[in-house]
Amino acid sequence: MERIVVAVDGSSASQEALNHAINLARQNHAALTGVFIIDGGWPDYIGNDWQSSQGARQGFLDHIQEEQEQQAQTARQQFEKAVNGMPSVKFSLEAGDPIDTIVKIACEKSTDLLVLSRRVFQISGRPSLKLLGEKLAKKATRPFLLFP
Amino acid sequence: MESGFFRKLPSAIPGLALIIITLVIIRGYPGMDIAGFKGIEPWMAKTKVFGMQKPLTDAFHLNYILLGILAGLLYRNVIFGGKIPAIFSDGFKLSRLMIKTGIILLGSLYTVQAIVQLGSFAIFLIGGFVLLSIVMVLWLGKVFGIDRSMTGVLANALSICGVSAAVATSPAVEAKAAHVAYAIATILGFGILTMFISPFIGHSLGLTDLQYGAWIGTGILNSGQVLAAALAFNPKVEPGSAVSVAEIWNIMRVISIPFAVFIVTVWYWTGKEAQESKSTRKGLGTLLVEKFPVFVIGFAAMVLLTSLGAFGDVGIKGGPAASDTIIKLRLWMTWIFGFGLVGLGGYIDFKEISQAGGAPLKLGLIVGITKYVLALIVVLMIRDYLVAI
Repeated sequence: MERIVVAVDGSSASQEALNHAINLARQNHAALTGVFIIDGGWPDYIGNDWQSSQGARQGFLDHIQEEQEQQAQTARQQFEKAVNGMPSVKFSLEAGDPIDTIVKIACEKSTDLLVLSRRVFQISGRPSLKLLGEKLAKKATRPFLLFP
Repeated sequence: MESGFFRKLPSAIPGLALIIITLVIIRGYPGMDIAGFKGIEPWMAKTKVFGMQKPLTDAFHLNYILLGILAGLLYRNVIFGGKIPAIFSDGFKLSRLMIKTGIILLGSLYTVQAIVQLGSFAIFLIGGFVLLSIVMVLWLGKVFGIDRSMTGVLANALSICGVSAAVATSPAVEAKAAHVAYAIATILGFGILTMFISPFIGHSLGLTDLQYGAWIGTGILNSGQVLAAALAFNPKVEPGSAVSVAEIWNIMRVISIPFAVFIVTVWYWTGKEAQESKSTRKGLGTLLVEKFPVFVIGFAAMVLLTSLGAFGDVGIKGGPAASDTIIKLRLWMTWIFGFGLVGLGGYIDFKEISQAGGAPLKLGLIVGITKYVLALIVVLMIRDYLVAI
């Protein structure tokens, strides 16, 4: 294994996955990448909202963006604290649909192992993120390790 | 976050084309005859099944509105596997604009006098239901131990008009993204159910357009679903039809968004540190400017133009027949709404909705069903006081 990717969201659920990913990376002398995904699906998710004023709509999207940026910062701090002193580590901030992005990572040749909690990103996400494990099982082409 | 309308227009063409083709297949158009096929709706109106004449329209009350929503649902959840593909996505997004445009044009069904007659009664009923729902949600939120922010979002989402109210309230009560998502999934799930069963209930109880419009305008949570349920009951767009009554009720409810946001914001910040509250909370004036749904102004302008006779006679019962301009306008509205509601169906993601649950769902169902049933009872009780237009 040369590269392990771990999904991090700053929650206790992702801490367990992160700890395992760190152990595996140390044992295999592999590079470790932490990933947080800013959910870009909100404008579509409130798609039925055709009656809000522009101010209300934009105010809402700015509010969600701000929360997600704070969550990304918490995730970065969680990752950096856990990997302190480790060589070959990187934190990557992605944007897009969290499930699509995770599935894409789980299909990349450069991903030797994806480690994540089944509940990752639910802390600030949409209900469909509960289906993350199911989607990964169906679509991932690279090995992955799923924690509760 | 979102690019402008004109920049999006070219990329919207494939989605627009798909929706228009879908609608043409469903409705047909005068003179359409493709190898004997004249459209699904005309076909249903003539089809005999097991000796029954047109059971699909008479027994199931299927019309182009419900078929359009079902087509949208089918595209997203079955044909496209849960997500509208990028190539069609911008076209489906435009459906929101079409519905809003259609509502503005609906202003041509009313005169100022009719609005005052119907609206003054509607505002009384709507105001009562909005306040009752807010109080009920705030109380049940405490009983179920639901987070205060989420209770605030649910209070307005279940009291006023679903997604719009959730969107308007969230920043004011510091709601987390997950709270909003679960509130939206709850109200959309309940709304979809009511959108499909209301026409059956309305026909079974023999409700008039006036009673039905008043009922769903009060009892259904989401504005798009009120429109769909009204047109599914009676697809006619004319004064006194279900949609003309339901939309006045609905507009009265939508207008109350800034006031309801204010009430819930005051409730939310009660008990917070005074200094924090003062720096974060917005006044009613600011909320009115920020949250007032601008399309209502377009609707009001249309009512004014109609009252001044800009489009000729509107065809009120007992008066002169509707002018050619008004007739054409109403025909266009049916297409615009049909278009918008295919798009609305395309936004309903069953997987997303099915993941909602827990206490918010329980609370949503209790309040939603109470409001829906109580609105029906009230409308049946006050049938003699409802004012026809």
